[in-house]
Amino acid sequence: MTDDKDVLRDVWFGRIPTCFTLYQDEITEREAEPYYLLLPRISYLTLVTDKVKKHFQKVMRQEEVSEIWFEYEGTPLKWHYPIGLLFDLHASNTALPWSITVHFKNFPEKDLLHCHSKDVIEAHFMACIKEADALKHKSQVINEMQKKDHKQLWMGLQNDKFEQFWAINRKLMEYPPEDNGFRYIPFRIYQATTERPFIQKLFRPIASGGQLHTLGDLLKDVCPGAITPE
Amino acid sequence: ESSDDSQVAGVCTTEEVIRYEYHVLYSSSYQVPVLYFRACFLDGRPLTLEEIWRSVHVCYQDRLQEGPWDTITQQEHPILGQPFFVLHPCRTNEFISAVLAGQQEHDRHTNYIILWLSTVGPVVGLNLPLSYAKVAPEQNSNTDSA
Repeated sequence: MTDDKDVLRDVWFGRIPTCFTLYQDEITEREAEPYYLLLPRISYLTLVTDKVKKHFQKVMRQEEVSEIWFEYEGTPLKWHYPIGLLFDLHASNTALPWSITVHFKNFPEKDLLHCHSKDVIEAHFMACIKEADALKHKSQVINEMQKKDHKQLWMGLQNDKFEQFWAINRKLMEYPPEDNGFRYIPFRIYQATTERPFIQKLFRPIASGGQLHTLGDLLKDVCPGAITPE
Repeated sequence: ESSDDSQVAGVCTTEEVIRYEYHVLYSSSYQVPVLYFRACFLDGRPLTLEEIWRSVHVCYQDRLQEGPWDTITQQEHPILGQPFFVLHPCRTNEFISAVLAGQQEHDRHTNYIILWLSTVGPVVGLNLPLSYAKVAPEQNSNTDSA
């Protein structure tokens, strides 16, 4: 993993320039200017948009404001998906900045999870980390960590602190030298075109003959339609 | 709920009717079944997470309060893509193994799903009728756990 530090940093510091515009039917006391922000790909919308919320609430009356939610071209954006995933799924072919519409009314109960506090985001993030470790290490590494280590992972993400995050995450990315890899690879494949939200299956990093599986092997196995013939 | 004595005659408390929908899914990551559910009032208004936590039976409230975020949360249904509440599977293996070990000692046939659902269901309002436990052994033979 130390050899890959440049790649790890590039992934962590990836940003998407975004323009937030208030939905036209929201009731305002004066005109709402759009708000521009560079969004971290690896974070979550509701974690990084406090300034967006404050900006638009300044021109609205208290009684007109309930839970914030975001939408792109009519599609409610699932805050529990990483921002980079949302962009790649919905807007990767369009010109930057990414234009997101901000709502404070008519929360779409059938589409979006509620996010009333940062605790909800933390619970979701930690649940993902735990499930990934269940696949990689039968939960041994995550369960052996203390609560303060779990907290450090979350704080690292919340405060955009690469070193703080990876001090703990590197343990989740290691495996004993006698093994050649994790037990199973934690992955999810998202496609904009399917009904099912994602594909997730058990997949071992090593084939029965001992060779390392490639990304192509994974795709052939779980999502053959994604691979176009040469 | 009963009306209290201070109520004006002719006015009665309305009992809230809540409609629950339960789904049993299998988690390949944890290799256990997982209970997904949603709940709404008759007018269609969905319950909030706080309302769900409050509706957990009183005998499970202590465990819930120890770690509500580790017990019941709102999550995306992995097939339908819609918000559901989920009873977390993390502790399932602990108590299921203990019960299964006891069953095998008595050489009783075990339907894993019924055993599991009768244990976790009541936490979130799902009480299996006893008739589920009376399925004859021959019918169970395909579902014995190793």
